[in-house]
Amino acid sequence: MLRLLIIKEIRDIVGSTKFAVTFGVCSLLVLLVFIVGARAYHTAVGQHDAAKRENLRRMEGITDWMQVHDMNVYMPPQPLSALVAGVAHDIGRTVTVEGRGELTAHDSRYSDEPMLAVFRQFDLEFLFTVVLSLFAILFAFDAVSGEKERGTLRLTFASPVPRRTFIAGKLLGAYLTLVVSLLLPIAAGSALLIVMGVPMTGDDWVRLTLIIAAGFLYLGVFLSLSVLVSAMTTRSTTSFLVLLVVWIVAVLIVPRAAVLFAGRAVDVPSVDAVAAQKAKFSAGLWGDDRSAMAAFKPSKSGDMQAVMQEFQQMMQKLADDRDRKMREFASRVNEERRNRQDVQEAVAFGLARITPAACFTLAATRLAGTSFEMKQHFLAATERYQKAFGEFMVAKTGMNPGGRMVVLRVVVGDEKKPEPINTAEIPAFSYAPMQVADVAGGTALDILLLLAVNLFFIVGAVAAFLRYDVR
Amino acid sequence: MSQPTFEAVNLTKRYEDGVLALDHVSFEVHPGQIYAMLGANGAGKTTTINIFLNFLEPTEGEARINGVCTHTDPLAAKAQIAYVSENVMLYPAFTAMQNLEYFTRLGGRDHHTKDEYHRVLERVGLQREAHDKRLRGFSKGMRQKCGLAIAILKDAPAIVLDEPTSGLDPQAGYEFTQLLTALRDEGKAILMSTHDIFRAREIASTVGILNRGRLVMQRSAAELGGADLEQLYLEHIAGHAA
Repeated sequence: MLRLLIIKEIRDIVGSTKFAVTFGVCSLLVLLVFIVGARAYHTAVGQHDAAKRENLRRMEGITDWMQVHDMNVYMPPQPLSALVAGVAHDIGRTVTVEGRGELTAHDSRYSDEPMLAVFRQFDLEFLFTVVLSLFAILFAFDAVSGEKERGTLRLTFASPVPRRTFIAGKLLGAYLTLVVSLLLPIAAGSALLIVMGVPMTGDDWVRLTLIIAAGFLYLGVFLSLSVLVSAMTTRSTTSFLVLLVVWIVAVLIVPRAAVLFAGRAVDVPSVDAVAAQKAKFSAGLWGDDRSAMAAFKPSKSGDMQAVMQEFQQMMQKLADDRDRKMREFASRVNEERRNRQDVQEAVAFGLARITPAACFTLAATRLAGTSFEMKQHFLAATERYQKAFGEFMVAKTGMNPGGRMVVLRVVVGDEKKPEPINTAEIPAFSYAPMQVADVAGGTALDILLLLAVNLFFIVGAVAAFLRYDVR
Repeated sequence: MSQPTFEAVNLTKRYEDGVLALDHVSFEVHPGQIYAMLGANGAGKTTTINIFLNFLEPTEGEARINGVCTHTDPLAAKAQIAYVSENVMLYPAFTAMQNLEYFTRLGGRDHHTKDEYHRVLERVGLQREAHDKRLRGFSKGMRQKCGLAIAILKDAPAIVLDEPTSGLDPQAGYEFTQLLTALRDEGKAILMSTHDIFRAREIASTVGILNRGRLVMQRSAAELGGADLEQLYLEHIAGHAA
């Protein structure tokens, strides 16, 4: 009987005008997301390659490694970032690496394309969270109340149909229809990624599959909620209005309200305030070092080369000490800010997780590698690069550049024309995006919450229908 | 006499708002009989049907189908009932055949062939070209025919009809009555609520008149003899029966 009810439900939905319209619109939107994503990826690759070339071009003509003060490193575009943007457009894509000193990312995509900041990118996460969740409601808002209005419920229950089986048929039929009708354009969109030359790795495909699976789990929440509400109302217009209000609160209001509340509840010093603290501390250190420089007295006089060497050694030591102290100070203030930020995020995300929309967003961005962790992951890679770059520069010049270091160099007459430096010798920046093994564990809570909410609404729908007046 | 197919034993229903819809109503319908319930709106006819279909539970008494209590074992009771409502509502996106197949299989009969579906639809008077059309454009008469076809295919011993000829044109009403007579002759027990005194007089084996939840008159066709049923009805409804 369950099979019969499921097939009936699928036929009933597929034969309706609302399905024809929603399926058409959904298919177009899903394909659009993949096309927009693929194009955005290629644009980002173009920008990334141009930036790398420009970085090397500015070193053209340099004949002395001492003149190389820094290197710009750029976050390589990731295919999944184009499909689930997360924070990818908000955080800086460029880090200027000196041999020492604190690293900060700058030049976010919004600085290139500010209109994106206004309307955000149309990506898979937005499609599932906002658009498809509404379609899930459209699929099932009249599952029970509509049958009562049409009068078919009365005829159905004149037959020996167990109520649990009937509601299971409703849920499974609607869910299967939704999943299959979305999988078709998603499969076509995935094929488009290959056709459009987006280099998806095996790991990317696994993560994309997990994102889509989480998306279906999220849509299941709205589907089962719709069946629950329709089993608590006698008119489909009432169930639709109730669901619309719930959707607005769950998708549009609660996540933003949670962030707003957390911002008020937990005070985090602004980036500017922290930067001002660091600048003040740095100025203090620099003042001390200036006094030390002014007090420099060579141990031997007469030999200019030896004096310069002694001065350079002193400067190197001062710079190293200054860098160490600055790092310690920056690490402390950053950690304080980070700790407060962690509390704020925990409050914001904890509250936002009341809604499945936030659970899905957090799971999807984490799986795509575009969650809050993305910035830390990128900066960690740049810190590793800074070390390699510093060592390279020490090997080349005997000094580690950066950190407001003063370098004096005496150039003695040399008739040989200097050769330009070979920039290919500079260590290359390598960035390994987070792998599925790195991110899967972090999504467990959100996936479990989505499962639990699904289960809650399914049980609620069954319980509500057991008491439903089918007359 | 054989076991009654329909059996109402002191059937009483008081709604939550205190309204007494049925007051100790008892009757029986045996195989090969048509029991016509007459009464004004609110007399308790639909409440009786709702209790037999387990849409409502009685406050007192029992409704039984072939001895099975409808509120203690509703699925077993419903397996023996076919139901045709006043306004048969089927799935508009399905064809007549698809509706027929679905509701027949839902009733536990999944051995019928497509030819049998066509034959039954033709038997109830639905023309062949309409069999594979969606229900969207069907008239009430055509939907009633589909409803009766479902009841026939379910082959249940008990058939419940709620105002089945209401709103049908005379020709459709006549055809419907002929089909009911044929089903009665096949040994089905039919419980029917109606406002149509003349049709009840024509086909019912027993007529019961309900007034404000009470069964105020019950007479077999033989007992009615040549009596004027309309006069009897008005007298009982007015509450001054002789």
